Amino acid sequence: MATSTQNAPAQQRPRQNRDDGTGLNFGRVLRSEWIKVTTVPSTVILLACTVVVMVGLAALFAWAMATSAEAIAGSEVPAEFQAPTEGPNSIAGQALTTPSAGLLFGQLLIASLAVVLIASEWATGMIRSTMVAVPKRIPALVAKTVIVALIAFVVGLASALVSYLVAQPILRGQDLDFALTQDGVLASVINTGTFLALVAVISISLGTLLRNTAGGVVTAVGVFFVLPLIVQLISGLADWIPKAARFLPGDAGTQLVMVTTVDGDLTQWEGGLVMTAWALGLLVVALVVTKKRDV
Amino acid sequence: MIEVQALSKRYGAKTAVDAVSFTVQPGKVTGFLGPNGAGKSTTMRMIVGLDSPSAGRVTVNGKPYAQHRAPLREVGALLDAKAVHTKRTAYNHLRAMAATHGIPDSRVKDVIELTGLGPVAKKRVGGFSLGMGQRLGIAAALLGDPHTVILDEPVNGLDPEGVQWVRHLAKGLASEGRTVFLSSHLMSEMALTADHLVVIGRGRIIADAPIQSIIDGQGKARVRVRADRPQDLLGSLAGDGVSSQLLEPELMEITGVDARRVAEVALREQVLVYELTPLHVSLEDAYMQLTQTEVEYHSSTPLAGEPVAAPEGR
Repeated sequence: MATSTQNAPAQQRPRQNRDDGTGLNFGRVLRSEWIKVTTVPSTVILLACTVVVMVGLAALFAWAMATSAEAIAGSEVPAEFQAPTEGPNSIAGQALTTPSAGLLFGQLLIASLAVVLIASEWATGMIRSTMVAVPKRIPALVAKTVIVALIAFVVGLASALVSYLVAQPILRGQDLDFALTQDGVLASVINTGTFLALVAVISISLGTLLRNTAGGVVTAVGVFFVLPLIVQLISGLADWIPKAARFLPGDAGTQLVMVTTVDGDLTQWEGGLVMTAWALGLLVVALVVTKKRDV
Repeated sequence: MIEVQALSKRYGAKTAVDAVSFTVQPGKVTGFLGPNGAGKSTTMRMIVGLDSPSAGRVTVNGKPYAQHRAPLREVGALLDAKAVHTKRTAYNHLRAMAATHGIPDSRVKDVIELTGLGPVAKKRVGGFSLGMGQRLGIAAALLGDPHTVILDEPVNGLDPEGVQWVRHLAKGLASEGRTVFLSSHLMSEMALTADHLVVIGRGRIIADAPIQSIIDGQGKARVRVRADRPQDLLGSLAGDGVSSQLLEPELMEITGVDARRVAEVALREQVLVYELTPLHVSLEDAYMQLTQTEVEYHSSTPLAGEPVAAPEGR
């Protein structure tokens, strides 16, 4: 049987000078994780969905703002019952948050993507190949976290920018349009990316700890979506509940994208730091557990 | 070279690998044989650090696997043909593995050619047959052109051409001075491929010897003899390690002497011999004898929930 594979061993190169510069380093592991993340179809699908959902929701939000402004302008409500015309609760103030309006659902898509990217390694067995190539394990996991967080940041930032651009013509009719240079607007746009990056880090950690795609997605959705709802429902039971709830990862992180914050709430900085603490804390736990557990 | 020293792995109360020690030498193919659940895969996983040992240590080329600067250059391992993301193409899988070590894409193409994956390299792994999956696993193992190659059940799911290819590959790698360590449930395949055997049963090493000495040592030479005066022949043959069994009045099986010796004695004693057949002891027989005792020894101690140790034959 003289097939091409038959003579294969003879084609093996003899072992001569083996110091050809190959070997592990973090830059190479990053490159490997970049290849891995970009060569599965779920990445492209979920990222495209994130952009579409965030921009779509922002456009709807802008349209709703414009419609209410129009309705108010046309009505003859006594001045004392009218909505404020300035400040964060005014329509003009709310319109400033348009770029991050789709974040509520965008975060769920990014959370799902992050969980899927790590948990599918366990589901498919790929993790064993990964851990054999990078036996110290931690560089592989850190590299994946960095790559996914970076992608989440860029997608968040891009979605917010596109949302801003799409919303301006809709808002202009009611003179609600605004400049990126207006106080807090640019920071809010950038932090839409920061928020999604932190969501990605938390979700990767959850996916690593649970090693299960469905379980990880459900848990991430629970943390970012269900938990704040539950807290809202029970917040009347005791004074401390809403106060403590400000420190939940989702609630704290939401402060990041605020254009202005209300007294008593965390500021943008405080909220961002609280969410970062959650993300790094969970990541450290995930790293320690991954280092110790058998694969 | 792989050095395993008093390596143990316990899962709760169950001991999967029990203080095993052996060395896998470079320049030859070492086979790793044992019934299902004997601890072969667990041992191999501990060599590359996927499982951490409960006790003992294992080094590859002098260092624990994880401490090498370029692990894939030291050891190439096929532990599980399913260790691949099913939605990724074979080419991208290998490219991602190679990237961790800065191994160039040209080497990725080389191993694809080497393993005959060319026609399916750009297809998603999820649709691969078991045999193609094995070839991809072997391709990944060879990426780093490693000193040491570990293959767990490499011929599983391969067609006859593939089986022969793996045999040639293993022998070729060993002849280049590499350390080749492979497990297989096909005993006959082991006989054709391996130079040295490590036999494991219930987490313990039963035998660790060159393959010929395992065959010789376990099954002594056996011949079937038809003769007109069996008792006279047996009387003259009697000696150390010779035993016999009379199957029919003139038919017997004699263990411990070879056919030539029987013929010589028969000639001298003027016994008419009308059949003289050497009975070959296959590695499979030797292996069964080895593991049989191990199984019997253990089945006297009732251990609930333990897998039944049967020879692997999937």
